[in-house]
Amino acid sequence: MIPSDHFVRFYNEVFKALEDKGHSHIVAYWRELGRIQSRELAARFRAGGLQACYDYWKRILKEEDCKGRLTLTEDYFEFRMDRCPSLAKVLDNDASPSPLYCDHCAGWVEPVIRSAGLHLVCDMESRSEPHCVLRVYRDQALARAYERQATLPSHPYARATAKSTKRHAAPT
Amino acid sequence: MKNPSGLRYRETGPLHRDFHRTTNGTIAYLRKRYGLGLLDEVFRRVAHDVYHSIHEDLKRGDTEQLVAHWRHFMRREKGRFAIRRRGDTIQMTVHECPAIAYLRGRGIPVDPAFCRQTIAVNEALSEATPFAITTEVLGEGRCVQTIRRRPS
Repeated sequence: MIPSDHFVRFYNEVFKALEDKGHSHIVAYWRELGRIQSRELAARFRAGGLQACYDYWKRILKEEDCKGRLTLTEDYFEFRMDRCPSLAKVLDNDASPSPLYCDHCAGWVEPVIRSAGLHLVCDMESRSEPHCVLRVYRDQALARAYERQATLPSHPYARATAKSTKRHAAPT
Repeated sequence: MKNPSGLRYRETGPLHRDFHRTTNGTIAYLRKRYGLGLLDEVFRRVAHDVYHSIHEDLKRGDTEQLVAHWRHFMRREKGRFAIRRRGDTIQMTVHECPAIAYLRGRGIPVDPAFCRQTIAVNEALSEATPFAITTEVLGEGRCVQTIRRRPS
């Protein structure tokens, strides 16, 4: 049995193995996570809006032993993660961290938020320090404006699109 | 680096057993999409890289960290188990696997490859060591894991 304490270190190896097979494989996995989570959460977020997001992450903050702060305004919900237990554990590890470890979070959250008609900005801030900021907006223009200030915004699906475009482009 | 208990990883505090559900789902995804080959490759990486310290000890002929790891995490997860030593052979009998008990308790179907996490990690831990580490699955949630010194 891999202890539940060691799940994220196992997960980190899954990400590395999928990335080794090709970037599209890890993207397909994130899409699957997003599909599963959308089934559970998209309708709730669509109906309850930013308040429902706040309520969900309030529970996660406690259940997953995160250190962070939640803010709810008229325009956005913010989850400021001061210490991510997941990345912290991946870094306390004899195995190397997946370079894309942090992207799995936006990888599943983004499809859920989009399905709910809301707009996500995930600022990873750093891939080697366990803190980040996640904001959900009602208004797309406000989300894009906030994203322009982000230190390290996560775009888990953009790279796949860029690669795919490049792969199918005519040789020059 | 190992902590004073002799274990590289020795978590304490809150336990998040729901990660067994996520492990089960991840195993199901990899098995259905890629087959057992990739799944076992991931477990091999876990054994050699995540559990590097245990593997290095085994290469040197030292089984103590692996046995302490088994004992610590089976106790922490409230598994029903017994560890016995007979000469160079060490055997852990798992009467109730806490991961499978968690899934069954919530009516979650256990993936057919769920026990590969134990079988493949044990096999990979024994590679390049003086030991064979085998896993005999006796039924859902029950198994016997044995460390034997290979004949020289």
